[in-house]
Amino acid sequence: MQTFEFEGRTTEEAIEQASRELNIPAEELEIDILEPGSAGIFGLVGGKKAKIKVTTEAQITPHEETETIEANHAESEPVETDSPDETELAFAKEVLENILSRIPVETTVHSQRVNGNIALNIRGDKSGLLIGRKGKTLDALQYIVNKIANKASEKKVRVVVDSEDYRKRQEESLVEMARDMGEKAKKTQKPVATDLLNPHERRIVHLALKPDEALNTKSKGDGLLKKVLIIPKK
Amino acid sequence: MKDLVESIAKALVDRPDEVVVTEIEGHQASVVELKVAKEDIGKIIGKQGRTAAAIRTILNAASAKLDKRSVLQILE
Repeated sequence: MQTFEFEGRTTEEAIEQASRELNIPAEELEIDILEPGSAGIFGLVGGKKAKIKVTTEAQITPHEETETIEANHAESEPVETDSPDETELAFAKEVLENILSRIPVETTVHSQRVNGNIALNIRGDKSGLLIGRKGKTLDALQYIVNKIANKASEKKVRVVVDSEDYRKRQEESLVEMARDMGEKAKKTQKPVATDLLNPHERRIVHLALKPDEALNTKSKGDGLLKKVLIIPKK
Repeated sequence: MKDLVESIAKALVDRPDEVVVTEIEGHQASVVELKVAKEDIGKIIGKQGRTAAAIRTILNAASAKLDKRSVLQILE
């Protein structure tokens, strides 16, 4: 059990930062909001920083901030959790196969280690049944497999479930969408908002626009799904 | 569908032997009732119902393949 404190302009940003630095998905962190923070009037004056306390059962060493926030490292971000061993890899694969064997679709599961995570690829689902609308079914499978895998394992394992390269394609189209919206924001000099996105998707959008000096990005909304506001700098 | 819910539920809880799943088949929709040990209800529902929502999503996908509809009921 370890406790950390994080600050951000909003609680959302603080949580995102915590998740990034500790390398744990936001939904698995125990979060106490110490100070909700306020944007002030129109986000201009009297803004107060949000402060949160994060408790986690996983054994982790927080990395240096500079290392994780660099946008260029987005894809090859060094992961400092212990690499999953053969047993964990095999177990996660078995958990997913077990579930899929009870769904009437012929599939095979391939497993590999990617950046210290376990990547499970489902092959054979041509219809996209296991992906679902906007990846909903895939996310559900991933969530359940993570829960089960982490219940069995002492150390924190992260499992990414993909089918027919959906996540890769999704990431590419998100980056493209983010850049298009960024161009629009710069042209009109007005903020542009994305659809409701989950934390992982928001992270992709934030990172895609981070190198752009003329734009700011900010998450807006409550709950797990939020919009990302893309704001032109004046 | 009963099998699917049962295998997921058993893997999630601390007392798999207390997991009981019954399926009531209807014309188009069937109801899958899930009962677990009292201490395990939280594990099945999850934070803000996320685990229950995920199980329902997977159940819906599996049912859709069979042109059916299934509803998951978690009994207390």
